[in-house]
Amino acid sequence: MFICKDVVEKIMGYIDAELGGKTLVELENHLYNCPECDAFVRTYRKMLVLAGKLRANGFVTILFRNRLKTFLLSRLNAK
Amino acid sequence: MKGSSGENITQTDFLRNVIGDGMNQEVDDNTPDEKLIELFLNENDQNAFEEIFNRYVDKVYGIALGTSRDPNSTEDIIQDVFLTLMKKIDTFEGRAKFSTWLYRVTVNASYMHLRAEKKYESDYSLENYVPYDENGTLIGRIKDKEWSSRPDILNFSKEAMEILDTAINELPETYRIVCQLRDVNELSYEEISEILGISSGAVKSRLHRARLYLRDKISDYFYEWRQNK
Repeated sequence: MFICKDVVEKIMGYIDAELGGKTLVELENHLYNCPECDAFVRTYRKMLVLAGKLRANGFVTILFRNRLKTFLLSRLNAK
Repeated sequence: MKGSSGENITQTDFLRNVIGDGMNQEVDDNTPDEKLIELFLNENDQNAFEEIFNRYVDKVYGIALGTSRDPNSTEDIIQDVFLTLMKKIDTFEGRAKFSTWLYRVTVNASYMHLRAEKKYESDYSLENYVPYDENGTLIGRIKDKEWSSRPDILNFSKEAMEILDTAINELPETYRIVCQLRDVNELSYEEISEILGISSGAVKSRLHRARLYLRDKISDYFYEWRQNK
């Protein structure tokens, strides 16, 4: 029988859809009956969605992109 | 050093290839990385170099920013990365994907910068970090602090994103880099394994503990934020 610890230790496999069969059924049964674990999984999933949104912060500006490209091409030509 | 046909060539021959005036090759979004590298390495095709640059500059920037956590230095780091690419592309042996090689160069350049700036902090381990008690029952009032359906967070408000960013920043370095590469930059476990030179199992183990720690931190921060609003 699943306990909260089992949900925690198997959550990566659950999120990556790698679990199957009896393990998946038992985990989802536990989630259905355990509000704490249900909240744990929901916040875990949302955290990953939020983290993915941080990627939008990692884009270079057009100005820097053009400046860097010009610099690199000049170095290439100067060889 | 190998030429385009795999023959041995001298450094002089290599440089002669690099400083040639080849710019006439047709390259586009669909040209495979390997072909671009071949054109750049053997024919000094600047269009090929530009395509590599355009294809990867944002990803390199994202990884450098995530690793160094220093926006002011990230531009210097990615300049170093592309200069390294120009100088050392001949060391790319094709055993891993080109992107993996480039991201490894990026992570190494970022760490070099952190060390130079003395910002590389000693780690502490999260290997024993668990959100449950000795009976295996969850602790920390997770349901009370539940935030996954709050519209102010799910709309990715500026404050919510800053809280997440702060929480990621507080992860120990060896955990943060794995979290950054997987959850922010969305690289595969195998790519991260090759970039960091650790096993896939170690990647998953670190990521697991990082996420547990991060979820707790974020829940605490969001809970405090809600109390103060």
